[in-house]
Amino acid sequence: MGEIRNFRSGNHDEPPPHGGVGPRRLAAIIVGDIAAYSRLMQADEEGTHVRVKRIERDLIQPSIVEHHGSLVKTTGDGFIAIFDSPVEAVRCSIVIQQNLVGRNASLPKDSRIEYRIGVNLGDVIIEPDDVYGDGVNIASRIEGIAEPGQVYISGAIYEQIKHKVVCGYESLGDRKVKNITDPVRVYRVLPDADAVGKTRGRRENVLIFLLSITVLMIATGVLWYLLTQPGRVGEQAATPTVSPVVSPSPQPPPREAAAPAPQPAPSLASSPSPAPAASSQSPTPVREPEMIAIRGGSFAMGSNDDPTERPVHQVAIKPFAIGKYPVTVQEWNECAAAKACGFTAIGNDDAPVSNVSWTDAQQYAAWLAKATKKPYRLPSEAEWEYAARGGTSTRYWWGDKLQQGMAGCKDCGATAAAEQPTKVGSFKPNPFGLYDMGGGIDQWVEDCWHKTYQGAPNDGSAWSGGDCSSHVLRSGSWKNDARYVRPSNRDGYDTNVRYPTHGFRVALGP
Amino acid sequence: MHILRCVALSAVLALLPGAAYPQGKTAPKDAKLYFITPYDGQKVRGAFLVRFGLRNMGVTHAGDDYQNAGHHHLLIDVNDPIDPKEPIPQDKSHQHFGAGQTETLLELPPGTHTLQLVLGDAKHYPFEPPIVSDKITVRVRQPPQRGK
Repeated sequence: MGEIRNFRSGNHDEPPPHGGVGPRRLAAIIVGDIAAYSRLMQADEEGTHVRVKRIERDLIQPSIVEHHGSLVKTTGDGFIAIFDSPVEAVRCSIVIQQNLVGRNASLPKDSRIEYRIGVNLGDVIIEPDDVYGDGVNIASRIEGIAEPGQVYISGAIYEQIKHKVVCGYESLGDRKVKNITDPVRVYRVLPDADAVGKTRGRRENVLIFLLSITVLMIATGVLWYLLTQPGRVGEQAATPTVSPVVSPSPQPPPREAAAPAPQPAPSLASSPSPAPAASSQSPTPVREPEMIAIRGGSFAMGSNDDPTERPVHQVAIKPFAIGKYPVTVQEWNECAAAKACGFTAIGNDDAPVSNVSWTDAQQYAAWLAKATKKPYRLPSEAEWEYAARGGTSTRYWWGDKLQQGMAGCKDCGATAAAEQPTKVGSFKPNPFGLYDMGGGIDQWVEDCWHKTYQGAPNDGSAWSGGDCSSHVLRSGSWKNDARYVRPSNRDGYDTNVRYPTHGFRVALGP
Repeated sequence: MHILRCVALSAVLALLPGAAYPQGKTAPKDAKLYFITPYDGQKVRGAFLVRFGLRNMGVTHAGDDYQNAGHHHLLIDVNDPIDPKEPIPQDKSHQHFGAGQTETLLELPPGTHTLQLVLGDAKHYPFEPPIVSDKITVRVRQPPQRGK
C-alpha cells in the first residue's frame, strides 16, 4: 500500500531490536499492515486503537520473539520485523495470520482486524529503530498486493523455504511494483494446502481399497457358487477359507463400503452366506456413553486464579449433550476391537480410559459418530467449563472451599497414587448430574491451546487456529492437587503425546 | 538396636518398590543434561527463551522407545525429589516436551525461580539413574513501569 509511510508513532515499548548500528546485512523482512484501517478507525477510533495495540502486544510481538526475529517498529496500522532466517519469518507470518483468524471468528465482518503480510529477503541497513533499503520497499509492495489475511512472499524467500516449510505455494507470477524497476516474483502461501490434500488422498485410497475388496469378494462368491452348485450343504464346512465378510448377494453401495470396516452390517450377517464367527465384529450395537442434555445459556468463563484463565469473559452456549462420565475402558475397547482406536486399554471396565492423546480421543469420537450416525465429538473448552460449573460461579462447583470427598485428587481426601484412578462416578455429581468434572482424569477438549483467553471466541465454539501442536486439557487428574479440580483450571499438552493421567469425555450436538 | 531396626526397615522400604517396578530404563553413564540458556543466576525480564542441552543421548518423541533417547521435562520451582518409580508428573510446574522440543519460551511472574531439566523415557519415567540437569536459578525482574 503506497509508499513506505513516514511512521508516525515510533513505538518505543519494544526491546531495542539490535545493539550496534550494523552497516548492511541480509535479512528476511516482514511487513504487515491492517487492511481497511481507515474505515475501522472511522467506525470506532478508540476501540480499534485498543484492539490493534492488544494484537501487537499479545500476538505479533510474542510471535516474532518466538521465531527469533526482532520487531523493528510498529506503525499506526502495521509493523516491520526482521529475521535472520526466511523459514522463521514465514512461519511467524503464518502463525500471526492463523491466530488472527481465531480472533476474528466471533466478530462481524466489518469490524475484523485483518493484516496483509509481505515477506522479502534483502540486503538492508539496520538502525536501532528503523530499517532501510530496497528489500524493505519490496516487502512493503508485496504486502500491498496481498489479500487481507494472506501471506505473500517474494521469489527470493520462496527459493529459500520451498522445501523447508511444509505448506502450499501459489505462484502469482512476476509482478511489476511501484517505483521498483525489475518485476518481482510473488507467491501466495497456503498454510493448509498440504494437509487438505493429504487427507483427501487418504480417503480416496481407503475408498478404492474397499471397493476393490468388494469386487474381489463378489468374484470369489460367484466362483464358489458355481463350483459348489451341486451338493452345497455338504461343502459348507470348508467355506470359512473363503473370506467371511461379504456374501455373494448384492454388494453394498460404495457409500457403505467407505464406512470403516468395523461397522457391523446386519444385512450382510443375516444373508445366506456362511458368515462364521471368525469376523472380529459383533452384530450388537455399540455401547454409547450415557449422555446428559445441557440447556444452553450464558456464563462467565475463566477466573483470576491463574494467568491462563484470564480474562474472565462472557460466553453463550448453545444446547448440547455431554457424557455423564468420562469414556471408560470398556467403551474405549469397543473402538479398539473395531480397530478404529489405536490400542486396547488395560484396567477395570468401569475405570476411565487413560493414556490417550488428543488424536486418540478424536479417533474414538469419530468412530462413535460413524457407528451410531450421531454427531459425537469432543466438547469445546467453553462447553466443558459451562457443564463443569453446573450453573455455579464459585471456585468449585460445590462452593469456594475445598470439601473432602467431592472429587478425586491428590489432596481431595481420597486414596491416591494408584496406577489408575478409581472407577468413574465415584464422587458426587455436579448440579447438572455430571460426574468427574474436576479430578479423576484429565479430559481433552476440542480447542487448540492458547496461553490466555485473549481473543477467545464467545459463542461457545472451539477455538481452533494458533499453535495446534498442543490442545487443551481440563479437569485435573487424581495425581494433581485441589487447584486443578477447579472448573476454570486449564492446561495445554502436546496433541500427539499420550500420558497416563489423560482421558476424555464426549459431547453430542451440532 | 532401635536404630538398627529403623535402618533395616527403611532399607527394605527403599528397595521394595524398586524391585516391584523395574521401570527405569538405563542411560549411558556419560549422558549430560544441561541448560544452554539461561545461565545460573541470570536476570531476565519478561518472556525468556530456555534452551535444553543434551549430550551423549538423543531427543525423541514421547512414546518412541529407542535406546538412549528420551524427551525433555522442565521443572519450575519444584522442590520434591524426583520419584524414579513414577511417571514425571504433569502439571503447571512440570512442563512436558513430548513432541521432541528442545527449547521453550517461558514467562514467569517476577521473583526468583528455579529451573531443572529431567529426561523422561517413552512412558515419561525418569531414567535409571535419573538424567537431570543442575538446578539453576533465574531472577525475573519487574516489568518496566510504563503505560501500555
